[in-house]
Amino acid sequence: MYRTKIILQHNLPIILFFLLWEVVANSSLVNPMLLPAFSKVIMTLGGLFYSGELLTHTLISLERALGGFVAALVIGIPLGFLMGGWFRTTQTVLAPLFDISSQVNPFILFHIIILFLGIGETAKITIIAWVCIWPIVFNTAAGVRNVDEILLKEARSFDLQRWSIFYKIILPSAARSIFTGIRISAGYSFFLLIAVEVMGADSGLGWFILYSQENYNVEAIFAGAVVIALLGVTMDAGIKYIEKKIIIWQ
Amino acid sequence: MERINKIKVKILPYIGIFCFLNLWEILPRLGVVDAQFLPPFSTVCLAIQTLWQDGILYTNTIISLWRVLIGLLLAIFIAVPLGFFLEVFSPEISKRLDGLFNLLSHVNPFSLAPLFILLFGIGEKEKLAIISLSAVWPILFHTITGIRSVNPILIKTGRSMNISTGVLIKDILFPGALPIIITGIRLGVQMSMFMLIAAEMMGAGAGLGWLVHNSAMVYQIPRLYAGGVFIILLGMSLNKIILWFQTYSWFWQERTGVAEQTHIKRRHKQVSSVAVFCFMFIFSGVLFFGGNEVHKINTQVRTLPMNHDMHQHSAGMEKGAETTEPQKAYVPNFKADEDKHK
Repeated sequence: MYRTKIILQHNLPIILFFLLWEVVANSSLVNPMLLPAFSKVIMTLGGLFYSGELLTHTLISLERALGGFVAALVIGIPLGFLMGGWFRTTQTVLAPLFDISSQVNPFILFHIIILFLGIGETAKITIIAWVCIWPIVFNTAAGVRNVDEILLKEARSFDLQRWSIFYKIILPSAARSIFTGIRISAGYSFFLLIAVEVMGADSGLGWFILYSQENYNVEAIFAGAVVIALLGVTMDAGIKYIEKKIIIWQ
Repeated sequence: MERINKIKVKILPYIGIFCFLNLWEILPRLGVVDAQFLPPFSTVCLAIQTLWQDGILYTNTIISLWRVLIGLLLAIFIAVPLGFFLEVFSPEISKRLDGLFNLLSHVNPFSLAPLFILLFGIGEKEKLAIISLSAVWPILFHTITGIRSVNPILIKTGRSMNISTGVLIKDILFPGALPIIITGIRLGVQMSMFMLIAAEMMGAGAGLGWLVHNSAMVYQIPRLYAGGVFIILLGMSLNKIILWFQTYSWFWQERTGVAEQTHIKRRHKQVSSVAVFCFMFIFSGVLFFGGNEVHKINTQVRTLPMNHDMHQHSAGMEKGAETTEPQKAYVPNFKADEDKHK
């Protein structure tokens, strides 16, 4: 009982927000063409899920986003450690190049990648991965750079091997920062996924929203937006949960 | 030896870029990469020069810059006061609102783009709304975090001296939170640059995003790369300016860490008034000339018949078309260009 009360209290603003939405939409203050009632959106959402239409698009989108995100993780974290100061010269040579690369706009890249790969899954995943890599790289590098000097010196005085220093000291101290990067990247991956799907795709949530727009189906637009927001929140909460499970020492 | 080391330190950071540009020049020339898809760097430079001489580059760059700056200003004017209001007057409610803000920040501006189009029509307002919406959240979050991270002893000391809330905000909370707010603004700029280019590609008559999109459609590959290079330059210079402000925003802080020792001296300085004046001058210049160009583009669109194709053609490209090739291959909407690439 107490727990439900706490949960209710914590989510009160969210509930109030949806109530407000419902009331405003029903009050003829705004055009129902622009803002359908929340209950209607939920009903549309239910109908779409029931017919299986939205589920297919959601799964396709999720696959793309996760594909890009995982690729970014696999490439980004080792690259981040490389940039973190273990190889000083490589770092100074590569740093400006990385700075520039992180500014390369994904949508420009989209056009260039299309030239080489054509419109397809690879192009979409490459773009998502490209954008997701940079927060991971920079945050990992910052994490490694900010490792406590005293801990490092102590480890050396205990004559720890390079690998053990990495595994026992650098990795745990950088973990928090790495997770910050991962969370930013997860946000970006959904952000870009929709953009990429709006620009050139025939499936996925972004395409679904564009399609609904072309048919003036505002409720479906909102339904799509709600699903995307929920996916984003879930992913963020999931990463936070994993972070808590992994980082137990702080 | 000392001297050689100094030179080495100065040169080393540029080696990466130098090698990259050289590879870009050499690989297409040797035929390792298809030169049609990846033109050599020199060709891209020539394209930039041609665009500059035609005035296309200036028009589109300043329009994009204007959009980003206005969108960003809107976002700052919404997010920063809101953050301060919530934190100063009702920290309790602000904590409760965290969940809601978190939920709302995950609402993709792109998924709301159709709504903005329905609400405002395709035009400046719609783009500015998308840009500001994507920049508002990082700035709001960082403002709130920034205020929460101000040393509570400072706030308590202030309170015990019975200072008014206004003074508390001005002299304690704002300087304390400023560096973190600026980090938020940097993230916001990054986001709004993404969104700007996307919005311009989706439906605009001008701007760097439009330039690149149009070049891709008429198959002017060097021009595509030229636009891309300029977008990178724009993003980097915005980032540099904000970073510069950030180093000065730490002026009150005493650095005790061993890291980044070289910056200690600079951090205690305040921004000189000359620099502020120059910045304001350039800033208002961009706003004025950018606004001018945007106004020109939009009136041009309005005088044309309401036709999607015409709408996309309008941005001073007529001049460019003479020097390049007739825009036969131009395909106006996304469905159609998908087919073309298949």
